Amino acid sequence: MTIWMREPDRPALAVPMRAGGAVLAAVGALLSWATFVLNDGPYPGKATLQFFDAPLAVESFRQQVLLLAVAALVITFVPIRGRGRILRALGWGVIAVSAVNLAFIGFNGGGFGAVTVFSGSVAFGGVVALAGGILIVLGAYAGGIEVPVHLEIRLNRYVAWAVLLIAFVGLLLLVAATLTAGGQGGVVNPYAGAMFLSFLGFAGGALTALAGAGVTSWISRLSEQHRPFSIVVLLVCALALPFTGAGTEYWMTVATNIGMYAATALGLNVVVGLAGLLDLGYVAFLGIGAVVAANVSGAAVAAFDIHLPFVVAAILSAVVAGCFGAVVGSPTLRVRGDYLAIVTLAFGEIFVRSAQNDIGGLTNGSNAIPSIPAITMFGTGFNEPIEVLGRGLPSGVLYYFLVVLLVALVMAMFANLKYSRIGRAWIAIREDEDVAKAMGIRTGRAKILAFMVGATTAGLAGAVFAHKLSTVSYESFRFTESVTLLAAVILGGMGTIPGAVLGAAVLFVLPEKLREFSDYRLMMFGLALVLIMRFRPQGLLPDRHRRAELAGEDVEGRKLDEQPTLDVHLPRGIATEGAGE
Amino acid sequence: MSRTVLEASGVSMTFGGLVALRDVSLTLDNDQIVGLIGPNGAGKTTFFNCLTGLYSPTAGSVTLRGNRLPANPALVTAAGVARTFQNIRLFPSMTVLENVLVGRHVRMRQGPLASLFHGPVFRRGEAAAGERAMELIEFVGLTKVHDELARNLPYGDQRRLEIARALATDPTVMLLDEPTAGMNPQETDAARQLIFAIRDTGVAVVVIEHDTKFIFSLCDEVSVLVQGELLVSGTPDQVRDDPRVIEAYLGKPTDEIEAQIQAVEARPINEAEGDQA
Repeated sequence: MTIWMREPDRPALAVPMRAGGAVLAAVGALLSWATFVLNDGPYPGKATLQFFDAPLAVESFRQQVLLLAVAALVITFVPIRGRGRILRALGWGVIAVSAVNLAFIGFNGGGFGAVTVFSGSVAFGGVVALAGGILIVLGAYAGGIEVPVHLEIRLNRYVAWAVLLIAFVGLLLLVAATLTAGGQGGVVNPYAGAMFLSFLGFAGGALTALAGAGVTSWISRLSEQHRPFSIVVLLVCALALPFTGAGTEYWMTVATNIGMYAATALGLNVVVGLAGLLDLGYVAFLGIGAVVAANVSGAAVAAFDIHLPFVVAAILSAVVAGCFGAVVGSPTLRVRGDYLAIVTLAFGEIFVRSAQNDIGGLTNGSNAIPSIPAITMFGTGFNEPIEVLGRGLPSGVLYYFLVVLLVALVMAMFANLKYSRIGRAWIAIREDEDVAKAMGIRTGRAKILAFMVGATTAGLAGAVFAHKLSTVSYESFRFTESVTLLAAVILGGMGTIPGAVLGAAVLFVLPEKLREFSDYRLMMFGLALVLIMRFRPQGLLPDRHRRAELAGEDVEGRKLDEQPTLDVHLPRGIATEGAGE
Repeated sequence: MSRTVLEASGVSMTFGGLVALRDVSLTLDNDQIVGLIGPNGAGKTTFFNCLTGLYSPTAGSVTLRGNRLPANPALVTAAGVARTFQNIRLFPSMTVLENVLVGRHVRMRQGPLASLFHGPVFRRGEAAAGERAMELIEFVGLTKVHDELARNLPYGDQRRLEIARALATDPTVMLLDEPTAGMNPQETDAARQLIFAIRDTGVAVVVIEHDTKFIFSLCDEVSVLVQGELLVSGTPDQVRDDPRVIEAYLGKPTDEIEAQIQAVEARPINEAEGDQA
């Protein structure tokens, strides 16, 4: 018996539509996409040439379309569970890739002519591929969309480890490819943004197709079963990033920045995601940590003439920020919801204005604190290039390693707190504060503790921040930064670890990658956020609880109204609760 | 052996000029189920809120085993008074097990540092709490759905989960605010059995209810609250037959209606049958 999420519209037409769409997309990939060479230079993928002109020129975005199209064609004729879902994902991937490149060539080439017919040359590749993608999606709906596939494959331990190893290495390569997709933006490379977005469309389509086949949820369940192994492998994979194509100084800096914001976002996730306290001035704690670290690390204009070792400075930053967390937390005993947001907003503003005007004499006002020395450990400055296993790694890579450890530490802290008495108390407060109180939870203490934990985390990240940027200026801690961090938490999925990290990555990579859209950058960014929140209110990688709340799905990802009754639920062990058998 | 566990004496509560409770007293023994009935707005829930520390009574005192209860719900719960709510208030996006574990909060001794490091003592504490929670989930009959989100449970199960969560605080006294509201007769009967079972584990129970039939078949003693004052207090039989209670629930019969009732009662039976034919 098959349960449909969406009944087949026209089953008879499904196969022809799917196959036809796939063929169209493949043909589109092989046709030329641009009628002339753009003003800014040749578009990637030799866009003006057809396959017949240059048989080996199927690269870049054309390769992406071709891969998706071939996959769609194969899936159309191979009986596999979740076919409708997979094809829908592949179709949307084709649509995304073609739309991005069509739009970019069209805009840059000054009109519709650039992607259709212009002074004698024809280039219908993009249009054909787009039509193919749409046809695949329609074909997928025509054949019906199944309920999510629940893959259940029993593996012995070593096979499972091998599978996980492959999955995590794949993840590492995907991260490296995503990070470097399109290359470094700027004057020399005007198409970086387009290439990046195109790659995102491709990777998103491919990943969603895997999810449609039930592979991603299976892998995530597998990693949950082999938790210690997965954690070690993930950590090693993260440390191996400099050995991939992303191992240049520029990408290491980008990755380090992402890591610092990810750690900060995880701290905010305790406050907002777990305890449900809306904090609009959170970045102030990052600032406090950075200012403290800057002042005790031997910078020329520091208020204190001491140079503490980094570890001591970091702990000091964390402690000071944590104390301020308690200060900000105390008014929360009396205010809730909107009023709390206003209190925290005011606190953030107080910090920025004091820093700007050097109130307290610790921030050097609008001149900032420049030239903070790099961290030095074992005689090596963290801003120097190093050699590992006979391989030279670029400068800044040590900061990257440090940040990976920081994020790992914060993740462990977050996970441990979440699945403990205090974590449950926070979630209970988020759900219903009065009842939490009636269940014996001292809500005031718990809330102050949430603020302190969040602030401590941000303070720790702030210490790294000060050293990495070597300059601490009040400008890095404005209201917009708080909002961006909050957006990262909500975008990724409230209350989850991967969510906050992914959210931070997306929000800090996108502006970096979309540099050449300069004028429209923030607008597009905002638009992207609105779209994501409209179509995925639970965030990109939601907590199963949140998903249920915001998307009306049950814990298995089925829509609630599709669910037969409670009694036929699949029995799930309590293994996920940590009760080992 | 029965002994008094909860004693409310002379509790009064005024909101501004409005007197919600006037001089209400109640005693509860450790093996008793006491019912609290009364029309809407009689002050039953206000009285509950005074017992659980949500309100601080304007006058009078509430003691548990001789100790005066503080005006702080968290501390009252820690002292041993647990409650459920009139309109179910679970933590909807937590699982059944997690809901009950929140109830264990006051009986667990894990500080923030232990929570951070998950040491062996922490893990033993977690395991013990989990075990106790599963026991209670079984007690109320929700073992099958222990990993479901609370929001997805059917109504009756949500009521039972709320009871399990309250029981997880290891209470001396359990306050149930309209536990059978919205239930069908079978569910009501199951709820009655559950409340007896709770009493048998040594927890004293106070029940607020509209359904007088349910209360009279359940309770050892019943108090009737009308317009903030204690009207009658006694065994179900005494309360049921008390004209003042009937009056409070149905209103005082006017002379005319009374006369009609008497007339009907006085009629010979065959005449009544003839009317129907």
